[in-house]
Amino acid sequence: MKSNNKFIKIAVPVLAVLLSFLVGAILIACIGGNPAQAYQYLFKGAFGNLSNFGETVVKATPLIFTGLAATFAYKCGVFNLGAEGQFVMGACASIFVSTTFTGLNGVSLLIVSLLSGVIAGGAWGYIPGILKITRGLNEMIVSIMLNYIAILFMGFLYTGPFRDGNLPQTAAVTAKLARFVGNTRIHAGIILALVLALVLYYFLFYTSKGFQLRAVGLNQTASQFNGYPVKKLMLLSFIISGAIAGLGGSVELHGTQFRLMAGFGDGYGFDGVAIALIGQLNPVGTVVVAYLFAVLRAGATTMQVGTGLPTSVIDIIQALVIIFAVAGSAFVNLPHIRQFLANLSSKKAEEV
Amino acid sequence: MKQKFMALMMALAMVMTAFTGCSSSTESTSKDTTTENTASEPTAAETEESTPDTVYKVAMICDSSIADGGWGAACYNAMVAAAEKYGFETQYTDGLTSADFASSLRSYADLGFSLIFAPGNQYTDAVVEVAADYPEVSFALLNGTVEADNIVSLLPDAEQIGYMAGALAGLMSKTNQIGFIGGMELDTTKAKLASYEAAAKAVNPNIQVVSAYANSFSDSAKGKEIADSMVTASDVDVMFGDASAVDSGAREALANYEGRYDIGQPSDLLATQESAVVISSVVTDNATLIGLCMEDVKAGTFGNKTIYGNLSNGTLSVGTFSDAVPAEIQTQYLELVDKIKEGTFIQ
Amino acid sequence: MEVFLNWNFIQELILSTIRMATPILIVALAELYSERAGMVNIGLDGIMAFGALIGFLVSYSTGQPLLGVLAGAVGGIVINSVYAFCTIHLGAEQIVYGMAINIFAPAIASFLYKIKFGISSSLAQATLMQEMPIPVLSSIPVIGKLLFSHTPIIYLAYLLVPLSYVFFSKTKAGLNYKAVGEFPKAAETMGIPVVRTKYLACMICGALAGIGGAYLTTCYISTYSDGVVSGRGFIALSAVIFGRWMPGGVLLAALLFGFTDALQIRLQVLNSSTPYQLLAMIPYLCTLFVLAFFGIKKAGPAANGRPYFREER
Repeated sequence: MKSNNKFIKIAVPVLAVLLSFLVGAILIACIGGNPAQAYQYLFKGAFGNLSNFGETVVKATPLIFTGLAATFAYKCGVFNLGAEGQFVMGACASIFVSTTFTGLNGVSLLIVSLLSGVIAGGAWGYIPGILKITRGLNEMIVSIMLNYIAILFMGFLYTGPFRDGNLPQTAAVTAKLARFVGNTRIHAGIILALVLALVLYYFLFYTSKGFQLRAVGLNQTASQFNGYPVKKLMLLSFIISGAIAGLGGSVELHGTQFRLMAGFGDGYGFDGVAIALIGQLNPVGTVVVAYLFAVLRAGATTMQVGTGLPTSVIDIIQALVIIFAVAGSAFVNLPHIRQFLANLSSKKAEEV
Repeated sequence: MKQKFMALMMALAMVMTAFTGCSSSTESTSKDTTTENTASEPTAAETEESTPDTVYKVAMICDSSIADGGWGAACYNAMVAAAEKYGFETQYTDGLTSADFASSLRSYADLGFSLIFAPGNQYTDAVVEVAADYPEVSFALLNGTVEADNIVSLLPDAEQIGYMAGALAGLMSKTNQIGFIGGMELDTTKAKLASYEAAAKAVNPNIQVVSAYANSFSDSAKGKEIADSMVTASDVDVMFGDASAVDSGAREALANYEGRYDIGQPSDLLATQESAVVISSVVTDNATLIGLCMEDVKAGTFGNKTIYGNLSNGTLSVGTFSDAVPAEIQTQYLELVDKIKEGTFIQ
Repeated sequence: MEVFLNWNFIQELILSTIRMATPILIVALAELYSERAGMVNIGLDGIMAFGALIGFLVSYSTGQPLLGVLAGAVGGIVINSVYAFCTIHLGAEQIVYGMAINIFAPAIASFLYKIKFGISSSLAQATLMQEMPIPVLSSIPVIGKLLFSHTPIIYLAYLLVPLSYVFFSKTKAGLNYKAVGEFPKAAETMGIPVVRTKYLACMICGALAGIGGAYLTTCYISTYSDGVVSGRGFIALSAVIFGRWMPGGVLLAALLFGFTDALQIRLQVLNSSTPYQLLAMIPYLCTLFVLAFFGIKKAGPAANGRPYFREER
């Protein structure tokens, strides 16, 4: 029974992806394009050569961080829609450290800078958390407001105090994360992301604190009854969630973009929420789905370039993946469908 | 249960109609696309005639839309016009975010494009990074300040553009209040604003300049609101903008008032559309600038230079005037433009 | 300072506030109807984008902005039916579907726009809806110009506020409607059709959010461009929570947003030395401070955001 359950958990997203591609193909054919050729470009763009593959990993890295941030908050039953703001604030803190502490060098500067990103992200996550538990404010609206403020604040930084010469952008950071795979842009950030995913997995599912956190997410009243510090746990999960996103922003700054400019971090927060939910709120699933999104993104560029189809086709496919995957897993979880599936598998077992 | 089934069917039907509705509308409009394809075929044929063995391809990336009625549209049209002249095939990607600049450039380079056009200095980093990895591909950077073996910067003179707009605004303003809307605080935008102000004050010392940034190139509603507030709060009567779609919004606001005008850029707005608001345009001939790059690509001499766009080489020019500009002001203005050209306008 | 006390300035500030608050108000009311039936829909931005496109296309090809607004409403319903089916029938997470709509609908809109206008780079312009001064009332000095000389959509938006209040507080249908959002199981046992009400809520939400989007392209500006919605849906979402799920509160919240936004634009125009990013933060900071100061002890409809399964007893 359990293996059957696991099979469905994996089969549903896979089917959803296939179905989305099918609808995408119909859409492409509708406007007179050639779906086979389009998808060929898509895969060429994602896996055509080592540097293409590298791009998918580079694109996946920030998505893993924001996906994990969303997962962690969700597990404790709070909605962190502010990952984008925390991501941006993490990067802002890193820029501040990188341009201020010029006495430090190389690795030590990098470490201090990443840590400052963690702290800034955590602090930005603390605000909706503390307002929720003390003032009863809805965390979604607070974190959305904070997104706007963070983005405007970043704009202020790169046009004002940290502006570098001619352009509305900051100077490039000097301490960069190491690139270690051939001439690809893959940087050490991906290792940080993967390690973090494993640590979170362990924490959530194999420690007592993690259990308490999940318990709050499942049933607040029961957790309160059991004497768990519900409010404290909620605040904690918001801070950690923010810290993860902040680290993501800092990593993106030190590994890929090197400087802040308009559009930094755009959309990563909301993509992270979608990724977390398709990944079944499991850190490992989050990593897999983040990579899928990155493949779509990286491939989309080549597909658009190769065929001249609008990139919105890929946005549509990406949205369909979300729609189908989440609908699929909700569908198999419907009480009578679950019953039906259980019957089906037990019948099969009898036959064997 | 029955009710639930009904609701399910209804929702399905809704979704179905959504999809069929979409597909039928695409069918009816797909004709447009095909006609455009056939229209571009002659270009390809010409290419084959002129250069039998190589097909030159040019691509443009853009962070706004190419249908924004402003910057993106002007740059795209410029590339298409130049490509027609020199027999290049064209392709574009718009609506990019900063994280995707580099990967989009890479894709074009991978697919054998000979020239890639990046219309703005915000692409500088991405161009420099990708150009280093693809020495055989040529990159043209508009408003850029870098030169390399395979990078050429195209630099329309922001100061002259600002002077031209400012001089006209100064001559036309009756309220002594003129406005400026920027999209982002780009360096070229700031330069345009500064010289706009200087020129207007040189023409009319009583002029006050009111400026605002929309923090967007696409929020035309905000453009409308800013223009409205400039007119009502500061009695601004001539405006100039550097913010793509936001400018279109501003023009809409001005259209609701009598005697409020806008100066267009970078294409000659009045040559293609009628408007009661636009009095003239400061025209940047990006097509010629890109054309020069294409010539170099074909001749194999591309790289290591900056092509300046200014009044002297004709890549900056005065656009069509509307009837709102009296003949004597036109002559007065054209004299000033000559001074700007000679560099004697503001010392 | 004297410029702020100038009557003309104040009058324009109020007019600007009304114009900027309207789309937020309409869309916030959309969300109010949705959440009152327990459906949290954060896909407002997406629905607006789709409504904006459909409204623009119809008004562009027929020359009738009013038809455009109606089409925007239909477009909103169609897009929102995806959300409705998946969340109501499959009991899927509402937040995800809102998110999916936010990616899906603008992409479809951008896709359709590209198909309709090809890769032509000229800006298509539609006719804008004319202002319709209300006879007699609009000639009242001062108030007439401020309140009674607008496009019909603005009247509709402000009229919806008292109507919604009456509906939710004074009618049996409204009380039943609210019961669905508060105690769906109890409502079911009392014979209230929970599922049907939830579908109805999604249709109202889609229609109003679509109208809010269409307002942008038929009454506000005459063009469509990707990103025209610019996050107004999220502001509307906040306005509902800010307004404590009450029509009057929602109106106040929308007006506060409109006012602070109109004010920050004027501050920018009058004082260009202050970095504009700091001024542009005003509406958001203002919301946060007002919220933090008053706090919200009431968390909205009790069963808000929860899936409802009839089988579960």
